[in-house]
Amino acid sequence: MVRILVALAISVSIGATVFAGDVLKPISQRLPSEVSDTQISFQRHVVPLLGRTGCNGRACHGSFQGQAGFRLSLFGYDFAADHEALVGIKAKPVTYKNGKPIKKKPVKKRKKKSSPIDNSYPRVNLTNSRDSLILKKPISADDHEGGARLKVDSWQYRLLQRWIEDGAIDDTDTHARMERLEVLPRELFFQTPGDSIELRAIAHWSDGMKEDVTELCRFQSDDPSVAKVDETGKVTSLRKGDTHIATFYDNGIATTQSILPLSDQNGDNYPDVPQPTQIDQLIVAKLRSLGILPSELCTDSEFLRRVSLDITGTLPAPAEVLTFSRDTVANKRERKIDELLERPTYAAWWATKLCDFSGNSGNFQDPEFAREYARQWYEWIFRRIQQNEGYDKVVRGILLATGRSQGQDFAGYNAQMSSYLKSDSDADFATRDTMPHFWARANISLPKEKALAFSYSFLGVRLQCAECHKHPFDQWTKQDFAQLSAFFEPVGFGTPGPDRERMEEMIKAINPDYGTGKGKKGGFPYRTDLVQEGKVVPFREVYVAVSDDDRRYLYGRISKKNRKPSGLTAKLLGDAEVDVKKFSDPREPLMDWMLDKDNPFFTRAFVNRVWASYFNVGIIDPPDDLNLANPPSNQPLLDYLTTEFRQRGYDMKWLHREITRSRTYQLSTRANGTNRQDTRHFSRAVPRRLPAEVAYDAIQQATSRKTDIDKLQTAVDGRVIGGNDIAQYRKYRRINENYGLAVLGKPSRTENCDCDRSNEPNLLMTLYLLNDGEMLNTINRSDGWISEISNRLGQSVRTFAAQIKTKKGKVKSPVKQDRASTQKAIVKLETKIKLLEKKGQSEQAATLRRVVAVLKAKTGIATSAGPTESDPPQSKPNPGAKPETPDDLIAQAYLRTVSRQPTSDEVARARQYIAESRNTAEGVRDLLWALLNSNEFLVNH
Amino acid sequence: MSSHKYCDGIQRRDFLKAGALSGMGLSLGNYLRLAKAGDISDAKAKSAIFVNLRGGPSHMDTFDLKPESPEEYRGEFSPIDTNVAGMRICEHLPKLAQCADKYAILRGVSHSLAAHQLGTIYLNTGNRPNPALEYPGYGAVVSKKFERHDAILPPFVAIPNTAQAPGYLGVRYAPLQTRSVPAAGQPFSVRGITLGDGITLTDVERRGQLLNDVNRAFASAETNSELLDGLDQFRRQAFQMVSSPTAREAFDVSREPQESAERFGNHGFGQSCLLACRLVEAGVKFVTVSMGGWDTHQGNFPRLQGRDSSGKAVKVGKGGGGLLPQLDDGLSALFASLEDRGLLESTTVFITGEFGRTPKINDRAGRDHWSRAMFVLMGGGGIRGGQVVGASDDKGQGPAGDAIAPDDVAASFFHSLGIDHTHEFHTTTGRPVMIVREGKIIDRLFG
Repeated sequence: MVRILVALAISVSIGATVFAGDVLKPISQRLPSEVSDTQISFQRHVVPLLGRTGCNGRACHGSFQGQAGFRLSLFGYDFAADHEALVGIKAKPVTYKNGKPIKKKPVKKRKKKSSPIDNSYPRVNLTNSRDSLILKKPISADDHEGGARLKVDSWQYRLLQRWIEDGAIDDTDTHARMERLEVLPRELFFQTPGDSIELRAIAHWSDGMKEDVTELCRFQSDDPSVAKVDETGKVTSLRKGDTHIATFYDNGIATTQSILPLSDQNGDNYPDVPQPTQIDQLIVAKLRSLGILPSELCTDSEFLRRVSLDITGTLPAPAEVLTFSRDTVANKRERKIDELLERPTYAAWWATKLCDFSGNSGNFQDPEFAREYARQWYEWIFRRIQQNEGYDKVVRGILLATGRSQGQDFAGYNAQMSSYLKSDSDADFATRDTMPHFWARANISLPKEKALAFSYSFLGVRLQCAECHKHPFDQWTKQDFAQLSAFFEPVGFGTPGPDRERMEEMIKAINPDYGTGKGKKGGFPYRTDLVQEGKVVPFREVYVAVSDDDRRYLYGRISKKNRKPSGLTAKLLGDAEVDVKKFSDPREPLMDWMLDKDNPFFTRAFVNRVWASYFNVGIIDPPDDLNLANPPSNQPLLDYLTTEFRQRGYDMKWLHREITRSRTYQLSTRANGTNRQDTRHFSRAVPRRLPAEVAYDAIQQATSRKTDIDKLQTAVDGRVIGGNDIAQYRKYRRINENYGLAVLGKPSRTENCDCDRSNEPNLLMTLYLLNDGEMLNTINRSDGWISEISNRLGQSVRTFAAQIKTKKGKVKSPVKQDRASTQKAIVKLETKIKLLEKKGQSEQAATLRRVVAVLKAKTGIATSAGPTESDPPQSKPNPGAKPETPDDLIAQAYLRTVSRQPTSDEVARARQYIAESRNTAEGVRDLLWALLNSNEFLVNH
Repeated sequence: MSSHKYCDGIQRRDFLKAGALSGMGLSLGNYLRLAKAGDISDAKAKSAIFVNLRGGPSHMDTFDLKPESPEEYRGEFSPIDTNVAGMRICEHLPKLAQCADKYAILRGVSHSLAAHQLGTIYLNTGNRPNPALEYPGYGAVVSKKFERHDAILPPFVAIPNTAQAPGYLGVRYAPLQTRSVPAAGQPFSVRGITLGDGITLTDVERRGQLLNDVNRAFASAETNSELLDGLDQFRRQAFQMVSSPTAREAFDVSREPQESAERFGNHGFGQSCLLACRLVEAGVKFVTVSMGGWDTHQGNFPRLQGRDSSGKAVKVGKGGGGLLPQLDDGLSALFASLEDRGLLESTTVFITGEFGRTPKINDRAGRDHWSRAMFVLMGGGGIRGGQVVGASDDKGQGPAGDAIAPDDVAASFFHSLGIDHTHEFHTTTGRPVMIVREGKIIDRLFG
């Protein structure tokens, strides 16, 4: 009745290992007949059983507050604490002095807990096992808040009883380690909904023992609507689709894929589909098993828009769209990809992405220069992407960074840092070998916070859970987390011991009150003005504490509680322990480990993140959540990309090129009968919202005047992806000052999560786009396209924004503000030039003319005396311009926003709207507004 | 499929990412229904107004006077009786004295963060600030708990701005910030909602129709995108806000009958209180009103009462005189107006600064930061007014007896709205975090 097709290769291996006969039978079958010679193990049986029955779950005794005074470690694995909770803590001996017991000072507690945890008395009764609380409670529906969990004399009951009778011993110290959890089968191919199969789990221990532990595992289906799994491990297919079942035992996790093909076109029935690249072949191999057919190739205009946004974070210019569609060269898509990768906008957009991953939040321990540091961080990465430096080298420059370069002394360091911040300085931070700001952030001052940031940024691993308890979906324990944190204990921010006195002298030279505790006056001095003048001022630095004294100092600064190092031996995640004292910098062994070809995180995490930004989801998704219970949707594909990327010297351009050249990337969003529901196997393109910075820039670009729009295609200056918004950070504070960017979902980069960037729609965002003054003024701006049309046609365009006054005046867009003020300066200068020329001072005039030329080049302003912000739109017709018909303007509006020609139907509708409008210019303005608000504009498709 | 996994082992699916190969994935509709459900009890309050007195108001000169303390502590002001026997407040708050039955005074509220930013975060989230985690402000929590997708006004409005960030809840629960304060009798513009001068509803609807037309081509070509569904949904809601007279009129304080508007006072703070009142009436769930100027390191007394020792007027803020007269106008009218509209029982009013001020007057006739003792006012929303909860010691230096922690105030505030403060949200990385971890409800405020 149940027809199950187990993947052939796998079923062979099952035969080899499972039925070889060396696997211990399930413990339930060895009770009671073999009871005399069967050891009940605390680690192998008791704790897993407590997990299986839910005792150590969060709603029950796994809660940090415990339950009815009884607390177990959440999801187990704190064996010592769990054992203590079961057998009771021995009463601590009282210390006597002069015959009197020493009274400890009562510890002042902040809050009384309603149900205090009391693990001082035993929950096991060694003399009368049946009288043990852990047996009496769970069999009683009345006396146990958690209800009846066990039946009297069931095997579970007898297992616990037996363990108690044997002395309730904790065997974890002497017990072998679990090497691997094997769950069979690894792949399930169902034919009909309702079919089911039972999973079997075998634990492999380091001493060679193998045991069937199916009945002690927890099981979980990732999508219970596709396939469900019951507590015994029976998987039932419910409907077409795929999901995976995770099995948990001890600290092992194994996953089983479950598939019920989407169509009959699977396996041998799968039609021939084009698969020109390696990526396509690996994707199609997977689709074949799922019965999913890929969509058609997307059109040229869809491709151009998609690839421009993805590689360069920029819309194609209207002229580019037309040229590309007319181009008849066969490999024009490949050529476009190569061209895009050479643009500065590629470096800008991917520097923005790498700033996301590395957490360039602007939240620094030296807040006075927060925006300067954030800017340096961005530019340092920009330069490396532009030069196509290997990703491994970029990370090395961040991970192993200290404030000083090798051999630099205290004075040299301060001089160098000061030189970057001098007004019109030539010194360029980006040319430094290392970028230490990663470690100088205020939100990662503690070693454990550094460990979280490190594993998030460079490993794509989320360790937050393991900070407090065993990770529920991965192998990580609290101990693993603490030992990873140990690498970062000597990494600090401040001034190392030998230079501390000189530091104080330098500070006191600026602020004599320093250290006197007179509030603000006694604090770290304000250095901005001095440093801009070219003076050398003191800077604290990222350093590795060598002496014990330094390490104590480091800890004292962080927190009084943490004054001393943990004393733990550092341990690589899932790997060996390391004696960090052998290294001058404890982060070196971490870097070596990451670059090892067998490292499961470093390269995969990056490749997967890059993939995710092209396909909406990662091969592992969420892309920054590499864990054992979250397997890749296409393992061979991820392996291929990872291996190639590493072997090609971490060449980022290769990776972008390889992905975008694939047919898979170039598929249409339009679904067919088999892939309508697919979002994980890349059988079609999935619409994605434009990221905040890209959307913001695209609005500026689409509304800019004709002469500017082609330049903006490759321009980085003034763009948000060019780091322009960093200049708007308020001094001392990292605040997303730009409202538009904030509501569009720009990440704060403080959360150690790729999801900090919000690409979900939200109400404030749609309100902003529809009717916010800033948005509407951008469309109507005097140096924009609409004003250009209005001038040419001699038609006035009324403002459609409500005039909202702020303290600083009217709402202005930042880019515009920048340009407006430059324009004003240019106009002033040009008047002066004329005056000088009249007076015959041609030399001075020439000097000024050069200044004007620089200003114009910098901002991309072409015309000199363009209307300024305060000028009303000019309504004089410009007789020199070639007349544009409304149809031309409609086509322009479409090309500017959705990067394609309008259909004849769209032209007809727009024409009618314009005809009914007050004048053509206003009609086109409304059309542009509508297009900017359309899904087609806001989405990359 | 994409399921988000949390530290506590709970799976949750994001409505925009739900359903690989799944026809039954959580649809937007289902999601919205779930979002509406929430664990809302039969609590009286359905909305809240939060008044933030930025800078830290002096408790000794407002709601916690110490007339028996030495001269260098007690200051220049005397207490007066209120309409509740035994409850005395500052003489420069005569209107609030006449409606003391409407609010409770919490005295001896105490914490240890005497810096503006830290104190502000503490009092605006109910959680001690943590550099590694940004807690959501009260308004963001209320927005999330009371989320509705058919509302014609945003759930959370800040006049003119607020320190309450959405934190780990995400931008979706961010406030609409008006960025300016209304002036009496003047039409008031709000970003995103107010229409430009001379723009009629017909213009807006005509443009809206154009937008629908432009959108249609793409919609028919695309299938099965929860992102596009979401964009459509929020766009419809936003468009309704822009085009509906209810929303725009709610913001327009010039529509308030003159008599009612006047009692709020002809100054920015008072008119902000009026706006808050109108917004709550129109369905906004959480409004913050921010009033600055309370950081009185020098000239404490003239700034508070609005004139110096020679009788010359001292002005603080937009259109205002002294801080206390403005506060007196705005808050007394707020309570009265909410009551007139039948909204007092269903609206919790919560008034606080970030800390109190030094009980001992400094050598510049000012008071400095002091977080060991401060006051909080709470009223409406089922809170029993006309009582003093807690106390400070005889010189106002610290709590007398048990201190009230900001966490306790927060727990009580959420309780008034029927929100369980021990409820857990998940941070973006899956960590479960209680809304207010340390707080306990102050029972005396209720019943």
